[in-house]
Amino acid sequence: MGINILLTADPQNSFEWMLFLTKKYYKMFLEGTWLTLYIAVLGTLLGFLLGYIIGIIQDIKTGQGDNPVRKFFVNLMKSVAGIYVEIFRDTPMIVQAMIIYYGIRQLGIDLQPVFAGILVTVLNTGAYMAETVRAGIGSIDIGQREGAWAMGMSPMKTMIYIVLPQAFKNIIPEMANTFLTNLKMTSVLNVIAVQELFMAAKTVGGNYYKYFESYLVIAVIYFALCFLFNKIFNLLEKKLKGKSDYALAVEYMDNQ
Amino acid sequence: MGEKIISIRGLGKSFGDHEVLRKIDMEVSAGEIICIVGSSGSGKSTFLRCINKLERQSTGKILYHGKEVRDVQRDVNEYRAKVGMVFQSFNLFNNMTVLQNCMVCTRKVLHLSKEEAFDRAITHLKEVGMAPYIHAKPAQLSGGQKQRVAIARSLCMNPEVLLFDEPTSALDPEMVGEVLNVMKELATTGLTMIIVTHEMAFARDVSTRTVFMDSGYVVEDAPPSELFTNPKNQRTREFLSRYLAG
Repeated sequence: MGINILLTADPQNSFEWMLFLTKKYYKMFLEGTWLTLYIAVLGTLLGFLLGYIIGIIQDIKTGQGDNPVRKFFVNLMKSVAGIYVEIFRDTPMIVQAMIIYYGIRQLGIDLQPVFAGILVTVLNTGAYMAETVRAGIGSIDIGQREGAWAMGMSPMKTMIYIVLPQAFKNIIPEMANTFLTNLKMTSVLNVIAVQELFMAAKTVGGNYYKYFESYLVIAVIYFALCFLFNKIFNLLEKKLKGKSDYALAVEYMDNQ
Repeated sequence: MGEKIISIRGLGKSFGDHEVLRKIDMEVSAGEIICIVGSSGSGKSTFLRCINKLERQSTGKILYHGKEVRDVQRDVNEYRAKVGMVFQSFNLFNNMTVLQNCMVCTRKVLHLSKEEAFDRAITHLKEVGMAPYIHAKPAQLSGGQKQRVAIARSLCMNPEVLLFDEPTSALDPEMVGEVLNVMKELATTGLTMIIVTHEMAFARDVSTRTVFMDSGYVVEDAPPSELFTNPKNQRTREFLSRYLAG
């Protein structure tokens, strides 16, 4: 096989070293890739969910006519949500990872690094997503809501059936962006010993003292993953745009 | 005249220090077609929005069949399901087709079955001549078509009263007619309507009562035959002379 000729046991240049390391440690790289994807996908999806909930909470409005208990409860939820968003947007993810991982372990709970990694990704994504959702909701004309309210639809149903579907469509590019960021940001989770791609490169590079080549390998992997997802998101966006024409329902045409 | 549906008692509305509505009293009975006219900024749109509770009144109250509509979300929702509204800017749901626009509220608010909701939607879309467009999205329709769909959408709720907030003001002149014709048709069905409009000829020909508003007051409230030919108030006369001269 042609490729095997290149894979000498005695690599001479950086390119050969990359191939050598890839072949020797392909299992480690694959596992790292898998874990990176796993954390990014799960963390992002749950983060989106959290972001939507927080974004909707921040959008709840209380009127003068509401009873004081409800008002107090809504304001409390809004404050908590606000503080959470502020804290996670204003600190680096790598620091959040350390604090959450070591903090929870100090409480005597045996926290797995992967679980902690997902938790950090979810909380981080949720905070950013909350702002995106809030902006997305804000971008929908108030008339859309008034149209629904004026026919007796409750504010919650209006949010679910009228506002969110439109806001969702508007923020798809931002959601895709967030996912790609997360895919790359999982690399900071190596500080809490998650065996993702960055950790794999660190380990592999250390074995032969070939850091440059080892990191080049994962750079290619990160690039390929992001490139692929980018293309998928673009397709998805196009598909969601829908048709620009429509068919007349001829069965309801009058013969005028 | 039919039984009283809506009674407005001492309705006032202020935005900060600015008093937009001042102690308005009005009774709306079944079958009435009330046109509210007046210059821009006279408070007529705010008044209509207060009737639908889209604006909360600062003072006074609204009675629906003799019972006060409290500012509790559930009461307001139930009341709005019976008192529909058609907007100047249509407010059709942009993410839905014409058919979905006409079905979502009957399905989610009135909990009709899919078949019932569909039948109602088609019936009312036929009334406004928009049934062939059920698969179109709002963005693909002209202004006049959008407003006709919006009217059909409101009719699907079987409202007792339908409010119109300057339904033709955002339309090109040649589309005003098609919407007014639909409204004239509706007027013959006995539906109670309250219409804020600048279309004086329409008010004169179709309404059973014309209300003239000026700086937050109801200045004159009379049958159109009186109000247009023999206005009692000086302000009404000035307003009408400017309109009818043009």
